[in-house]
Amino acid sequence: MKKRLLALGLCAMMVFSFAACGSSDKKGSGGGDAKPETTFDTVKIGEDFTDLKADVKWVSHRTDLVDNVYKDYISEFNKLYPNIKISVEGITDYAESMTTRLTTGDWGDLCMIPTTVPKTELTNYFSSFGPKAEIEKNYIMLENFSYKGEVYGIPSVGNAQGVVYNKKVFEQAGVTDVPKTPEEYLAALKAIKDKTDAIPLYTNFAANWTMGAWDAYIGGSSTGDADFMNGELVHGSNPFTDNGKNTGPYAVYNVLYQAVAQDLTEDDPTTTDWENSKIMINNGEIGSMVLGSWSVVQMQDAGPNADDIAYMPFPITVDGKQYASAGPDYDFGINKNSSADDQTAALLFVKWFTDESNFAFDQGGVPITIDAEYPEVLKAFDGVELVIDTPAPEGEEDLFSNINTESEVGLNSDNYHVSIIVEAAIAGTPTLDEIVTEWNEKWSLAQESQGA
Amino acid sequence: MKVSGNAEVLPSENRTFREWFRSKEIQQRVVIAAFIALPIFLLIMFTYVPFLQMFKFSFYDMKYIGPRKFIGIQNYLTVFTRDDCFKALALSGYYIIGAFIQLAIALYFASILCFKTTAGGVFKGVLFFPYLISGIAIGFLFKFFYTRGFVLDTVLSWIGFDENGLPYWLKDTSINNFSLVFTSFWKYMGQNMVLFLGAMMSVDATLYEAADIDGANSWHKFRFIMLPSIKQVIVLNLILSISGSLSAFEPPFVITNGQFGTGTYFVIMDRIAHQHSKVGLASAMAIVLMIIIFIVTIFQQVVMKKFFPDDEDGVSLTKRKKVKGKKVAS
Repeated sequence: MKKRLLALGLCAMMVFSFAACGSSDKKGSGGGDAKPETTFDTVKIGEDFTDLKADVKWVSHRTDLVDNVYKDYISEFNKLYPNIKISVEGITDYAESMTTRLTTGDWGDLCMIPTTVPKTELTNYFSSFGPKAEIEKNYIMLENFSYKGEVYGIPSVGNAQGVVYNKKVFEQAGVTDVPKTPEEYLAALKAIKDKTDAIPLYTNFAANWTMGAWDAYIGGSSTGDADFMNGELVHGSNPFTDNGKNTGPYAVYNVLYQAVAQDLTEDDPTTTDWENSKIMINNGEIGSMVLGSWSVVQMQDAGPNADDIAYMPFPITVDGKQYASAGPDYDFGINKNSSADDQTAALLFVKWFTDESNFAFDQGGVPITIDAEYPEVLKAFDGVELVIDTPAPEGEEDLFSNINTESEVGLNSDNYHVSIIVEAAIAGTPTLDEIVTEWNEKWSLAQESQGA
Repeated sequence: MKVSGNAEVLPSENRTFREWFRSKEIQQRVVIAAFIALPIFLLIMFTYVPFLQMFKFSFYDMKYIGPRKFIGIQNYLTVFTRDDCFKALALSGYYIIGAFIQLAIALYFASILCFKTTAGGVFKGVLFFPYLISGIAIGFLFKFFYTRGFVLDTVLSWIGFDENGLPYWLKDTSINNFSLVFTSFWKYMGQNMVLFLGAMMSVDATLYEAADIDGANSWHKFRFIMLPSIKQVIVLNLILSISGSLSAFEPPFVITNGQFGTGTYFVIMDRIAHQHSKVGLASAMAIVLMIIIFIVTIFQQVVMKKFFPDDEDGVSLTKRKKVKGKKVAS
């Protein structure tokens, strides 16, 4: 009996001491009250806080960069801030794992904000980088993680929507200027077919998800209107109809229809091979593919001819000007539960990463600093206005997806509607006008039932 | 727990319960119940509960998340009024034709291999092997098989076909469904054959010897000894193949994604459920298909009865009659 009591007493003591540890820990790390001691817009890299001592743990989704590129960045950063120690952890299954870890509060100091975090929850997990009104003077794509005038997420890099192509193939075909309209593009494809052995446009039809890429251009790229996806498309009548100006969704899909109908795509779409297509475009066996800018690095790495791969905006010109849909990649977020010093250090690093690291340039992405130089692959985007979709107004957040599923048109979700265009173009029937008429009918019915 | 508790309170009854519990009859039942409990639990948990849930879903207008609205039989009406659902079911015709050919060939191989043949084991293994490969892997395999200028085209050009004159096996809508049916033929033929073989092996060899003495040839032996003996397995294989044909999914899903007119009922159902999030409608489609399979199976049974009137049921019937007669006589 005595022994039992002793054991019980020991247990109780241990529990209490643990509890004590827990509470003192929290105090030490700020308990959520700490803030970075500066803001993103005012801090000067290399001048402020150079003596700061801190330990920053950074959780990243780029497992491929953690051990090489990021390591180099950190040692560069340490030349300016020798006392800030940064350790990186890469997670493969990032979005899901990070969402779970966030809820514990004790995951590190700096992470890439998972897109699952709603805006209203931002303040519970992350510290502000500063007032949006100030930061947006020099940086873009802040919309996704800004809340009540404060910026909680700084994008690591931006992605643009365009067409990946092999420069050499285009040059061999005599196409020196990047095509800017559907006609010019189709003419270029025709020239490639006539003058080279390359497949002018590879659809990657069999992979299926690749067909969904076409939906990415029906908004900003083809209309120049940031409100299109959540405005005109949702509320307008018959949004898929040919507007006669060679812009808008119809023009995008018409490029595909015409290319297939004129035999400018691969012979047999049902047996295309995604992995092999990367090697083929690198070797100059493929002229172009319609995919997001994320694909560029993969195409470059697939063979020895990385320099031949380039990226151009989707060939549609609206009133003499070209646009490209764009959006941020993952955003940096600072843990509000970390100590003030660690948070400041994290903010310094993000600032350095954005301004000095050349990350966007190295990775072929869109820099988020205004007036930054574009990487070589995106040279064709100089002078092209990036269009970032405005979020849906309050109360209409689900409207687009509801109409989209109800109508079974399936933009960005069902790749089948784009595949149908290829099938129709091969069979010669139905025409694209008949296809979009059907979409319009279904879309209008869904708009009615969803009260748009 | 409750019983043993009672037993403790009432020690006088303790022994009787124990004795009762230990009696052979009860022990047998306990063992049976213990063995059967787990499978039944799993069956109910993972088959019947989800099924009932799906049945319930079929009356709702719902997505995976968000509010659900009861709409009665509207989903069922939609299944019958949409033109894509039943047009897709018509594609099963290809698979049913394939199933018949598949069974005939399986029967042929089985009847050869059930007798001693050179390297019979190897042939059995080779023919059965495709069944062991996952359907997804087979899909990828055949995608390459049918690719222009790849395996099939090359082989055909070796035997004298002009490679440029060959059709596009998956693109050409007049033959692509046959291409897909062939992949499921390739996979399931071996399985059918093994089932047939098993049944054929159990036929008493003395019957063949007797037939030999009577001067029967191979065809006679097959028609009058083998076929009647394995009738049950043939019926089983037929039912499995036809319900399998109606619910064909893997080849069109993996190889062509249901494009170029290859979207079977299941592929359409998958698209409606997962891409358009119309869970209620897809559930109704599943229920309708189940009913169709029921009807087809019953119809098949009736037809089989007509074809094999002198089957075991007939035998047992005459036996029963005899017994009855005896009873009456005594």
